Amino acid sequence: MKTRIGTLLANIAKRFSGLYSDSSSGKRALVHEILSIQVFSATLVGFLAIASLYWGGQWILQDNYSRWALQWTDQLNELGSPLYLAEDQEIRISLDNFVSRYPEIDQVVYYANDGSVLHAVDTEDDPDPVNALSAAQLRDAIAVVGASEPYLMTGGFLDPRQFNILAPVWVESIPDDGLFGFDPVNTEIETKTELLGFVNMKLDFVMFHDRLLSNIRTAVFILLGLLLLFAIYGRYALRKALASFADLQLPIQELAKGNLDVKFEPSQHREISDIVEALETTATALSERDAQLRELANHDSLTGLYNRRRFVEVLRSEVLEVMRKNRSSALFFIDLDQFKYINDACGHAAGDRLIRKVADELQRSIERDDVIARFGGDEFAILVRSVDVAGARAAAETILKNMRRMAHIEEEQLFHVHCSIGITMLSGTNLHHDELINQADIACREAKSAGRNRLSIFRLRKDGSKSATADVSWMNCLRDALDNDKFEIRFQPINEIDSGETTHHELLIRVMGEDGKLISPDAFLPSAVRFGLMTEIDFWMIRHAAIAYAKYSTPENRLQFSINLSANAFENDDLTGYVQETFEQHGVIASDIVFEITESLAVRRPLQVDRQIATLRDLGCKFALDDFGTGYSSFSYLQKLQFDYIKIDGTFVQDLPNNPVDQKMIRLIAEVGREAGMRTIAEYVRNVETLELLTELGVDMVQGFFVGRPTKVPKTKATPISLTARRQRLSRK
Amino acid sequence: MLGTGRTRRALRRLAALTAVLALGGCSILAPQAEPPPPPPDDVVEPEVVAPVAVETPPPVEVMPDPVVVPPPKLPPVAIIVSSSQPAFLDVAKALSEQLSESRIFDLGDNAQPPVAVLRNVNDSDPAAVVAIGLRAAQSSVAMAESPVVFSQVFNYHDHGLLTDNSRGVSPLAPFDAQLAAWVEIDPGIKRVGVIVGEGLEDLVAEAEVAAAKHDLELHLRIASSDQEVLYIFRRMAQEIDGFWLIPDNRILSARSLHEILSIAKRSQISVVVPNESMLALGATISIETQPADIAATIASVLRKIQSEGLQAVPPITPLSAIRVVTQ
Repeated sequence: MKTRIGTLLANIAKRFSGLYSDSSSGKRALVHEILSIQVFSATLVGFLAIASLYWGGQWILQDNYSRWALQWTDQLNELGSPLYLAEDQEIRISLDNFVSRYPEIDQVVYYANDGSVLHAVDTEDDPDPVNALSAAQLRDAIAVVGASEPYLMTGGFLDPRQFNILAPVWVESIPDDGLFGFDPVNTEIETKTELLGFVNMKLDFVMFHDRLLSNIRTAVFILLGLLLLFAIYGRYALRKALASFADLQLPIQELAKGNLDVKFEPSQHREISDIVEALETTATALSERDAQLRELANHDSLTGLYNRRRFVEVLRSEVLEVMRKNRSSALFFIDLDQFKYINDACGHAAGDRLIRKVADELQRSIERDDVIARFGGDEFAILVRSVDVAGARAAAETILKNMRRMAHIEEEQLFHVHCSIGITMLSGTNLHHDELINQADIACREAKSAGRNRLSIFRLRKDGSKSATADVSWMNCLRDALDNDKFEIRFQPINEIDSGETTHHELLIRVMGEDGKLISPDAFLPSAVRFGLMTEIDFWMIRHAAIAYAKYSTPENRLQFSINLSANAFENDDLTGYVQETFEQHGVIASDIVFEITESLAVRRPLQVDRQIATLRDLGCKFALDDFGTGYSSFSYLQKLQFDYIKIDGTFVQDLPNNPVDQKMIRLIAEVGREAGMRTIAEYVRNVETLELLTELGVDMVQGFFVGRPTKVPKTKATPISLTARRQRLSRK
Repeated sequence: MLGTGRTRRALRRLAALTAVLALGGCSILAPQAEPPPPPPDDVVEPEVVAPVAVETPPPVEVMPDPVVVPPPKLPPVAIIVSSSQPAFLDVAKALSEQLSESRIFDLGDNAQPPVAVLRNVNDSDPAAVVAIGLRAAQSSVAMAESPVVFSQVFNYHDHGLLTDNSRGVSPLAPFDAQLAAWVEIDPGIKRVGVIVGEGLEDLVAEAEVAAAKHDLELHLRIASSDQEVLYIFRRMAQEIDGFWLIPDNRILSARSLHEILSIAKRSQISVVVPNESMLALGATISIETQPADIAATIASVLRKIQSEGLQAVPPITPLSAIRVVTQ
């Protein structure tokens, strides 16, 4: 989770870093992009405005040209009408003067009503030839006489500079009697019309048009200048506005690196303030979650003390510190002496309460700089800093004294819990932390061996050295076996007494020793537990059991495997998922698998374990209660626990023919199991007498060297069982 | 545009003058021997005699008989009108009231063709024919066997209406009276522009005499079309105070009238028009003839013909009364 958020923040930081620089990542800069959009938009709008200006100006000019042209036409019409009545030189001069006043007028031609040229006025140096009006022109011009727009206009939109207007010249008069009762407001008044001729005017507004173009050209230059200024200012303004974003770059990078204490500068911009607030909220949430995860990862859930993982980290750094500062510290390994008794007598909850109480007492007994951890069960470790051997001894004796004084009342019983303390010193030698723990553990065992309730300081004797080295070597060996699949599986058959058939195989784990001999788990499992490798070993076993099932089990001869699982496996949340996935991968039928769990785990059954067992049962897996009879030995548990098999502990079977108590015990277990619907399995069956007795006692299934030794491959054929035993059983029935 | 003070003074004087001329039946200007025509309904009876009103009207050759001698009874007269428009019909009715025996014929009556109407006129054997309007005058002069007196006809020269058997009554209000009234209303008038068509030399001469009498500077121009009138008026506008619109239909058009009156209004030129309806376009004063006056003048001409013969009657007999309306 944290990794994903870190990656996300790193990406965000990269994006912020790209606000201004486009060279580092090869991506576009935000400033430039926004600026480009703005400049492009402004340019587009500007050119649209100029185009509008051009066409608008053109339209206005054209409209004005038309108005002027019509006004001039009216004036010329009026001015030139005497031409048709008398040869008046003064009129011609007036016409010349009129035309010369307007440089836009290129030519004015008066035509008689038959289209012939009456008079022409030219202002151009190279005047166009004047021709009589064509018949079509005459017809069109006559048609507009008396109309509301009495003229013909050519030229215009595509070339607004050139106009040509042809207008008829006519006179009107009132009818003879019309002046009597004349009403000039009446638009339908009768009028006498007489066509005199036509006037044609050529107009050239190129001067205005050129001026318009010149103005537009100037406007374009001004616009370009404004755009340039706008771009410069826009870049400056954008950089200033986005500076707050850039300020976020470093804090976000720090956040992405995992520095959750990073501080964000407040921003004056609302949007950025929101982002800052969100980032601060994220950092706070991450920090809280980090603390929570750290708490979960580093602390023991029962006592709140450091767990083994965290303690090892502290120890590792202390080793370095000791080496660097050339001083010494001490490592205590503490094991409670009477814990198992209280746990057995008063139950698991009482055991937990005791553990918590011991943790509190130990915490009170150490100095502030010292570190205490719970390794699991009733094992604790304490790192006592900056002490010599004498100081370490004194500290340990203080703990012992306090523990002796401590009294624990449970179910109205008073318990005194003592402990054994093993001590090893962290001095100038470069010791591995695992080795240190092993040394303290060895010393603790020595203390226990010496009578408990005491301390023992690890000393590097010859034997002790070997022992410690061997323990560490086991750890390396197990790690190597896990990493390189060097464990081996042996299949020991479990036979049904009645049929003599092998119904199950218990899968036993072995590791190959340096001498090429297989080493049994009794030799290495304690070290595996101590070094926290049990879960991995359990998972290895599940995986390889599935592989073996796929290899050896067939539809015609289905095999059933029993697999031992430690308590550590059930503490892993991934167990059921892993089992399901592995079984599906290898085609394992879940009902062919029996998981064996110890009585102690079954009795304690934390909620998490209970849930995992239920899930596995839902898959179809079966469960066997292993080593029954050695621990709690409470038959009431058998009622509560839903197991399919009860495996009677080997200690009841080993000397069965000679021990009547064991016989009665087994008979009782078998009867109870039968009543509870569970089948009983007896281990360590090594001879026929034992087998016959077990048959007589009502045990259902047997396992041991007499039935079958562990083999490399599972047996598919039934192991012969004494016919006597079978007969006895049959006769009893 | 007239100045407001000057306009108010002119209006006060106009009211007095209108009263004198209209309600007094133009008794001062009209021949004394004739019975006064009935005053128009919309003219106020004057009490104060304006200076212009006391002036003797232009010389009228046909003078009425002394009041003590009753006028001779007129023979039967046929009155022909060009159409039934008020300008003709009102005159015809007013004349009919003054005649002992008359009959009105309308050429515009679509019930029968003009030829049939004229045949009826001849069949009625009138002692004289009175033609009102150009069309009636043209037809009467051409076909009537009796003496013809025409009225309400402009440009009678152009139409050849003055023959040995015909005489006319002026269609225009007497110039002297018009100018007298105008000067009375607007004493600031000094330079008066007049534009007429060709062939109106008599009318021009009369106008010049009247202008000289009232000490007005007459700017007279001859035009041949409405466009030319406009052209001349634009140039004339800078040099005149008032424009006297002589109703010559040959050179006037609705468009030129609109333009002239518009220019005059912009140039604050006082314009006298012969038609009250033109006041709406911006004219200052309307000076019109009166049907009763026209009728009385025709009646006097008929009596002159009866008593002294057609040859004793001048070709055109002027009118004697005016009707003045201002904005």
